[in-house]
Amino acid sequence: MNKISKGLSRRTVLSGAAAVGLAGVARAQAPAEIKVGLIVPLSGIYTRPGQVMKMGAEMGIEHINAQGGIKALGGAKLKLVVIDCGDTTEKAKNAAQRMVAQEPDLVAATGAYLSSFTLAVTEVTERAELPVLTLSYSDLLTDRGFKYIFQTAATASRQSELGLPTLMKLAENASGKKPKTVAMLMDNTATSVATAKALKEKLFAQEGLQLVVEEVWTPPLSDATPLIQKVRSAKPDLLLFMPNAVSDAKLGLEKISEFGLGQGKIPTVSFSITIAEPDMLQSVSPETVQGIMTIVANWGSKGHEALIAELKAKYKEPWMTQNVISTYGDMWLMKEALEKAGKADRNAVAQAFRTMDAGPSKYYPGGQLKFDEKGRRVGAGVVIVQWQSGVPVTVYPPELAQAQPFWPKKS
Amino acid sequence: MLRMRSLLPPLLFTLAYAVVSLGVTNSYYQLILTLVPVWAVFGLSWNLLSGYTGLISFGHAAFFGIGAYATALGQIYFDISPWLLIPVAAMLGGIAGLLIGFPTFRLQGHYFALAMLAYPLAILYVFEWLGFQEVTLPIKRDAPIAYMQFADPRFYTLLGLAIMLATIVLTQMIERSRFGMALLAIKQNEAAAEAAGINTLAWKLRAITLSGAIAAAIGGFYAQVLLVVTPQSVFGMLVSAQALTVAMFGGVGTVWGPVIGSVILIPLAEILHAEAGARIPGIQGVIFGIAIVCVILMAPEGLFWKLRDLVRKRSAKATTDVPPEAAAANVTTLKPAARQRAAKGEVMLEVKNLSRSFGGLKAVQDVSFKLHKNEILGIIGPNGAGKTTLFNLLNGFLKPSQGEVLIDGRNMSGQRPHVICEAGIGRTFQVMRPFLRMSILDNVVVGAYVRARSDDEARKMAADAVVRVGLSAVADRVAGELSTKELRLMELARAIAGQPRILLLDETLAGLGHGEADEVVAVIQQLARDGMTIAIIEHTMQAMVRLVDSFLVLDHGAVITEGLPEVVTRDSRVIEAYLGKKWVGHAAN
Repeated sequence: MNKISKGLSRRTVLSGAAAVGLAGVARAQAPAEIKVGLIVPLSGIYTRPGQVMKMGAEMGIEHINAQGGIKALGGAKLKLVVIDCGDTTEKAKNAAQRMVAQEPDLVAATGAYLSSFTLAVTEVTERAELPVLTLSYSDLLTDRGFKYIFQTAATASRQSELGLPTLMKLAENASGKKPKTVAMLMDNTATSVATAKALKEKLFAQEGLQLVVEEVWTPPLSDATPLIQKVRSAKPDLLLFMPNAVSDAKLGLEKISEFGLGQGKIPTVSFSITIAEPDMLQSVSPETVQGIMTIVANWGSKGHEALIAELKAKYKEPWMTQNVISTYGDMWLMKEALEKAGKADRNAVAQAFRTMDAGPSKYYPGGQLKFDEKGRRVGAGVVIVQWQSGVPVTVYPPELAQAQPFWPKKS
Repeated sequence: MLRMRSLLPPLLFTLAYAVVSLGVTNSYYQLILTLVPVWAVFGLSWNLLSGYTGLISFGHAAFFGIGAYATALGQIYFDISPWLLIPVAAMLGGIAGLLIGFPTFRLQGHYFALAMLAYPLAILYVFEWLGFQEVTLPIKRDAPIAYMQFADPRFYTLLGLAIMLATIVLTQMIERSRFGMALLAIKQNEAAAEAAGINTLAWKLRAITLSGAIAAAIGGFYAQVLLVVTPQSVFGMLVSAQALTVAMFGGVGTVWGPVIGSVILIPLAEILHAEAGARIPGIQGVIFGIAIVCVILMAPEGLFWKLRDLVRKRSAKATTDVPPEAAAANVTTLKPAARQRAAKGEVMLEVKNLSRSFGGLKAVQDVSFKLHKNEILGIIGPNGAGKTTLFNLLNGFLKPSQGEVLIDGRNMSGQRPHVICEAGIGRTFQVMRPFLRMSILDNVVVGAYVRARSDDEARKMAADAVVRVGLSAVADRVAGELSTKELRLMELARAIAGQPRILLLDETLAGLGHGEADEVVAVIQQLARDGMTIAIIEHTMQAMVRLVDSFLVLDHGAVITEGLPEVVTRDSRVIEAYLGKKWVGHAAN
């Protein structure tokens, strides 16, 4: 690969020289295209989030190009290259290899939804020196000493660190007292395990919460009855329900409702976007999910109204999940880096990401458009979303909130 | 000579593959080229156990995953190089094979397959519980080669090829040795294999140990290629299925099957994913599935066997068949003169008060008799008299409830069949169990290993046995093409190839025409003349009277009478047992 990449860089040097020589001509002609990649699952069980991410990317590219493309490159237009990363780690790795081999002129990419896939994809892109933006949470992604990965979302452990205290404050403000006991039902996927670890090792004690029920299942969940029975008999002040598959979420919520714990009898909180996906409404009624909250890394919020309306009109998506808004934002982040780099070269773009300091972020909650030495976005925050009358709306932080949160009253 | 000839095709194939892969600079195509040998080796390891023994394993991912995790975790926690870890992984896989095999080989057929399925699923959850959901191999930027991290992906392909070549050669060696023969014999009929002197449990354990070691080694290499290890990607159902798919598609029970399967299926799946999947996401799975279904429908045993059958048919048409007369000419013609009665010499086998009951049914009760050297004893009796049960007690398939079986004065009752076979008792079966795909000679070799010290000696003994039953003219024909008579003779040859001193023949003449039966009888007589001691169960009285020295008559599991043929056939109890009471009077006249 050394040889190949040397060859490549020689070629890019040559083409760079040619570009300088032909600069005058180029300006007169139609601006060149700059390819950016989207590597997401478009087949298998994670198809749906992949499709939604594609919508976000397409909208982003459209808006950027409509507003004049990359100005530093003579108004060059962005072109999206979509690659299906399938539904297994192996397929993701193969797809990444295909991406770097078949599309040598990509300058950056974003993906790959599930953090296992992102792990595999970035193992390849790191070696090919292709910068990758990701909305995956796993701490491991940016703990490997990689130089070409940039995590826009707060990591899983950071999310629980940020989310739980906020949630407690919310509860105190709304209901007048702090929750004291908590039940935790979770699947054993990497994200849930990382979140639970942070909660159990530090946060519960810090917030004075007592863990009274802890149950773990392996997806798919076949029967939620024993889990919910335990919750009912323990009567906790707070239930953390952490599924990562819509079917698991549905089973659990239906059982909660069936046992008469729904509608806020026990305030229920999740840590993933699964529970706020539009798919949920296909299997459960708005009453079942009313009041349920989830702590997520990003969500369509105040200030995104025009985008949300466009998404609704164009793709018939009822609201904007993290997958759409983050991927949309990634396109703008790539544009920012290209403007800064001043050339369509992946290493220059990567360097631009590393040294970028573009002020407050518009499409990610909290913090700056700036990455630390690990590749994590500085000050990345979380959003709390609550189901209100059949729509999950942003209720925290206040500057992004679309509605006031309500804390379900224990009856 | 033989070694070289068998070595040449895999060597040429590997070389050709290496040349092609060296010419590919696109890293994505190179990755596919690397994955082909990986899955081929995994298929080969599956084939080594399941292809040859017929015990289908749905759980080979257990070994694969153990290898992958050993290689990944060893690098992360102990900073050991994969060059060392992959052999360690192989050892762990072998140990796992032994641990899994020992309890699981108690089961057979579907039960075995299902039990195997459970292992990787159970281990998968253990690894998730341990917190190894996502494990990534650390990048070694200063010493990449020492950690098997090549900048040029072609090295991975070459390394994969080297492992594949080694596995192919190993499999070929096993296929031709007593190991392979033992496994094939187990596949066809485990009981018959035991009776032929094969310690089936020991061979099966060796097979699963080796198979587990290979699977773990390639799992370790796969982790090195994939760079990320998750429980699903190495212990998942799809991984076990991959081994089955490539082997069944290419051909089960042959070294080329998994290789062919992998060479076709792995690139096909990837190309479909890359080309079709980009246009209609998900279509790749549908096309891939349909392709496999079609091939399995048209070539149920796999591509290799289908192609080989086609080639054989063509060459068979080209060279005219050997006229059947040539084969028959070799059979010793029956001499009407009865052979000299053996003197009541040394006692070879003595049965004392042997009984066996199944619940309330007394299948064999209190049977005692002696078998003298060079004697032919005919065991007769109506259906259900307990003749075959008696044989099963003699050769160890069944344990007697009571009584003793003395071979050369040593009590052998209750021993495992292969032990009794080693002691010098060979047997044939009422229902023939030939190895249809193998040549007559190869079929017979299986029986020779009990005495032979080397593969060459076994071949020589087998060839000798084939000559003795008069099948030398057709020795290279595949058993599937033979007539019933030839199959009976072949079974006889297999039984005598191990040079037993006592031969138990269970209805060897069943299903033969009159003339054919005479040919087989002639062979048996010749064996007796050569010094073999024989006990034979038979219904055809006519043939028996001419063949045997004395009769043992059983009815309802008990001995009615014994003695010389002319005496026994006139015995009223015998006639009554065979024909019913009213015939006793008729017969007396």
